[in-house]
Amino acid sequence: MSEQQAYEPKVVAFLCKWCSSAGSDLAGVSRIQYPPNATPITIPCTGAMSPMYILSAFNKGADGVLVSGCHIGDCHYIEGNYLARRKMHLTMELLKFIGVEPDRFRMSWVSAAEGAKFARVVTDFINDLEPLGPQDKLKKVVAND
Amino acid sequence: MINIQDIRDTAKDMLAKGEVRAVIGYRRGSRGMPAEPAFITNPEQAEELVWDPTCFHNLSLYLVEDRKFLAHLNKTSDAPIAIIAKGCDARSIVVLLQEHYFKREDVYIIGVSCEGTGVVDERKLAPHLNGFQATKAVFDGDDFVFTTAEGEKRLPAREVMADRCLECRNPFPKENNVVFGEDRTGRELAEPFAALARFEAQGTGERWDFWSHHFDRCIRCFACRSVCPMCYCDECVVDSITFPVTPATTAEEKANRIRWIERSATRSENITYLMTRAMHLAGRCTDCGECERACPVNVPIRLLNNKMEREAREKFGFEPGASVGGPSLVASFLDSDPGDFIR
Repeated sequence: MSEQQAYEPKVVAFLCKWCSSAGSDLAGVSRIQYPPNATPITIPCTGAMSPMYILSAFNKGADGVLVSGCHIGDCHYIEGNYLARRKMHLTMELLKFIGVEPDRFRMSWVSAAEGAKFARVVTDFINDLEPLGPQDKLKKVVAND
Repeated sequence: MINIQDIRDTAKDMLAKGEVRAVIGYRRGSRGMPAEPAFITNPEQAEELVWDPTCFHNLSLYLVEDRKFLAHLNKTSDAPIAIIAKGCDARSIVVLLQEHYFKREDVYIIGVSCEGTGVVDERKLAPHLNGFQATKAVFDGDDFVFTTAEGEKRLPAREVMADRCLECRNPFPKENNVVFGEDRTGRELAEPFAALARFEAQGTGERWDFWSHHFDRCIRCFACRSVCPMCYCDECVVDSITFPVTPATTAEEKANRIRWIERSATRSENITYLMTRAMHLAGRCTDCGECERACPVNVPIRLLNNKMEREAREKFGFEPGASVGGPSLVASFLDSDPGDFIR
């Protein structure tokens, strides 16, 4: 990155198909302005999130990872988000434990009707990531030839 | 105090009557002090069994290996296998039973209580022996007695015991068919998770310095995976050479397989490997400490597993290997699970 270019955090956003993905869509069709730094990846349910996806995103150079799904009680598969809550809590604690900044990972519940909330979650996340600078702890180092 | 002759007699009796196929236990090793795993099928061999502070192996690993071997031969188990299990080993067996890896009737658990002590940590012992090698270790009340070329050396067990044994909350194998030694649950030699708490008292920066140092040192020999009874997957998600290849596998299939991480032993890949392993062991690891003991470069792997164990205990009220019918950590949930980190 050249000196002139400002640092732009890269965020990988894992969005559940039934709520957050539709929520991000609503933010779009409602023309709500929010930072374009998040790359959305639709997953069937937050319960399908493997900790490996998060580690892999960091490994491939993500500065932050967002996981977003349906509110508790609203899961299309009844209990997927309950399971995700446990798994993501453990993953987050493990990341913090080895010394990754806690703000690098975030989870949120965004329903299909909460376009404005999705925009706010992404904006807040980007604002929190900016002072941290690029994530190079878990990033794969590729030799330049 | 456990009389080893009782265990030998039990083993001999069961083998003679044909009640079990084999007895997995410990015998004198060929490398001086440490005991080695013994697979006894002949009643006379039962006299070789030993029980001393160097019986650190988690033998439940061999139940897994046995089942894999039988599957390879297309056979089913015709008689149970008897296994000598300490508190932590018995919990490992319970986790395997929870996961239906084998049936309860396929295993006969000969429980041994660690009573007031545990197993020795060779790394802690070495400085006490003036450069000599111990050739023998025995329990004696709350002390260990080591034999070296210098003579006998008596040391309080607390000074040379493995951290995991000091912090152990359940030194008694609750799941058993027969048990030797008295139940000293709640003996409290050290605060549970004491080593973890000491480490966690540091800031984010120091923790990262510590871990990045160790992640750099990992050589990815996979010894921790090989020695772990819970790492039984035939295909390991973090190791692309374990993916099955048959004559029918096309080059395209091989090329298009997902490789989550590279096999090179670099920092980023080592982190992903060790973190993935810690996550896969969350709620399953019973803190037998074998991964850390097997590690040739002394990466403190146990800290990662301990962290997961403590999170599960404090936040979800979960104890790994508590009962055969119990739930699994990541496949169950409670309404009261913490959710305050979610925006």
